[in-house]
Amino acid sequence: MPNARVLRDIKARNVVKASEVLRRAYLYVARNETLSPQVRHQAQLQLNTFGKYTRPTTVKNRCAESGRGRGIISEFALCRYQFRLKALKLELPGVRKASW
Amino acid sequence: MAAAATAIRPMQLAALTRSRCSILQTAYNPTSARTGAKYLHARLCGPSMVKFYTPEANIAQIMRQWPELEMRNFAEEERLQDVEDKKKRGKGAPKKAKEKGNSCRASRRR
Repeated sequence: MPNARVLRDIKARNVVKASEVLRRAYLYVARNETLSPQVRHQAQLQLNTFGKYTRPTTVKNRCAESGRGRGIISEFALCRYQFRLKALKLELPGVRKASW
Repeated sequence: MAAAATAIRPMQLAALTRSRCSILQTAYNPTSARTGAKYLHARLCGPSMVKFYTPEANIAQIMRQWPELEMRNFAEEERLQDVEDKKKRGKGAPKKAKEKGNSCRASRRR
């Protein structure tokens, strides 16, 4: 069972993907200076009604093993310590200790 | 070249830009007004976001999708067995309180 924060992040990602097009459309109307202020304001109010998980800023890369929010290596979706543990156990394909 | 003959009027330049935009099919925006086009232009980032975590294999899901495989979820069976054992010992889950004041937690505090 993944970490609670990871589950929340997965939920956020799914909601962002589902609402992205609609959000962009409203943003276009709200930021278009050639339209009348009333129309722009209405679009902005509509945008304000969207939930927090529709915003891409709520999405954060997290470690899939531990749920850590910092020190994430995106290619493996792991934090630096989990990456190290797995790499030394040779569980990551193509990863080996560097020496040159 | 004579200076008077080569003095280009701004209207000529505007006409040039307009015709260039119509030929190359680009947007004509001489005043650089903010049209919000960048929000429509930009690539969608949703699909790549969703791909960040690899989906985990879920035995319950596989059992639902392919019932013909007749798989058994041992972890779930063990959990249900533990619940039954606890009930026999009298350590089962307490009854849910119907009203706010009746709950065990509230009475404990008193």
